[in-house]
Amino acid sequence: MSETTFMGVTRDRIDWSPRIDYDKCNDCMECDEFCPHDVFEVREDQSPKLIVKNPENCVVFCRACAKTCGPDAITFPNKNETTAYIKQIRKGEAAGG
Amino acid sequence: MDKSYAVLPCNGLDKCAGSVTREIALRLLKKTDSKIICPVFFRVSDSRYGKLAQEKPLLVLDGCATRCASKLAAEKGLKIDERINVSDMAKEENIALGLDLTLNAEAQTLVERTVAGLLSSSETVAVDQEGAAHAFFPACLSYETFQKDKFIFRLPVDEGFYFNENDVWAYVSGTHARIGVTDFVQKSLSDIMFFTPTAVGAEIEQFDDLGTVESGKAVFEIISPVSGIVTSINEKLIDAPEMLNQNPYEQGWIAEIELSDFAEDRNLLHTFSGYLPIMKRKVTEFHV
Ligand code: SF4
Ligand code: SF4
Repeated sequence: MSETTFMGVTRDRIDWSPRIDYDKCNDCMECDEFCPHDVFEVREDQSPKLIVKNPENCVVFCRACAKTCGPDAITFPNKNETTAYIKQIRKGEAAGG
Repeated sequence: MDKSYAVLPCNGLDKCAGSVTREIALRLLKKTDSKIICPVFFRVSDSRYGKLAQEKPLLVLDGCATRCASKLAAEKGLKIDERINVSDMAKEENIALGLDLTLNAEAQTLVERTVAGLLSSSETVAVDQEGAAHAFFPACLSYETFQKDKFIFRLPVDEGFYFNENDVWAYVSGTHARIGVTDFVQKSLSDIMFFTPTAVGAEIEQFDDLGTVESGKAVFEIISPVSGIVTSINEKLIDAPEMLNQNPYEQGWIAEIELSDFAEDRNLLHTFSGYLPIMKRKVTEFHV
């Protein structure tokens, strides 16, 4: 698979993916059913059953699965900080040539 | 009378209005040098009509609100020069189209009037009435197109268009922007069935969501390319979300925003030349 980027920044440098609060999660798997990007993994007979397996598949700035989560167990990094961070990397790289 | 068209009627046989489109097309053929595009044959063969649609202005005749002929034209990537919806025309003219599929005298009158109207109008009627109300948006866009399998993808080349990597565009003019999704979103979702907008008056930061569009396949979050206050949303999309599939850049726009800091927002946006390769890559990687 080719290396993916977001606004010219390689995807692995951007920390954007769902965070699951396992105290709230009730294993309904709505989020996994909803997301088409193969971000989550459901592991039968394991605890926790749901994990974020491929965080880099998550679409930067998407938060759609959080809306499907009844108990509000999904959160995301701070959008403004992420935006600022991406800008900072881009500036640094432009300056560095 | 040298006006002539490439006429694409819906030719819907099970509705009176559909039969009216056929009559209008036949009448135009008789009176002018117009040529007919048969919707049934066009579906299975592009080659027959492709050239014709380039040579003459395209007139699309829809019978009813399902707008099959418009949809067909959009699917084939044709630019519609003029469009008539027979059911709307009938309402305007106060003519009741019955359930009877053979055309009665009233329906004939409608045919006559429509043809006369078409031939007398010296200028093409603006297709997008809504667009006229929002004066800052260009009446007519130019597109770059490319093809994958049987699908044609468009991207507007006009200056003023910006794109984020979440496949949402903003057309910026002065302190205002109109927002919408790109052809990639529309095509990868296929038939869009729901549009859930954000509220007018909402304060939006760059990359906040402006609501969702949804098809049988997936839900797409509309991630705003710009920051500002939502001044209007495209209400028509709520009742007719299929307009997004017809053209997400014109009648399928999503919202309008009064910009708060576009100079800053622009740092994380692409222009046409930056986004085109991204959309092409996504199209290649996308498996229907
Ligand atoms: S939708 Fe929420 S509660 Fe359900 S599995 Fe996902 S994180 Fe857990
Ligand atoms: S934020 Fe969007 S892309 Fe990321 S896991 Fe949730 S639904 Fe999938």
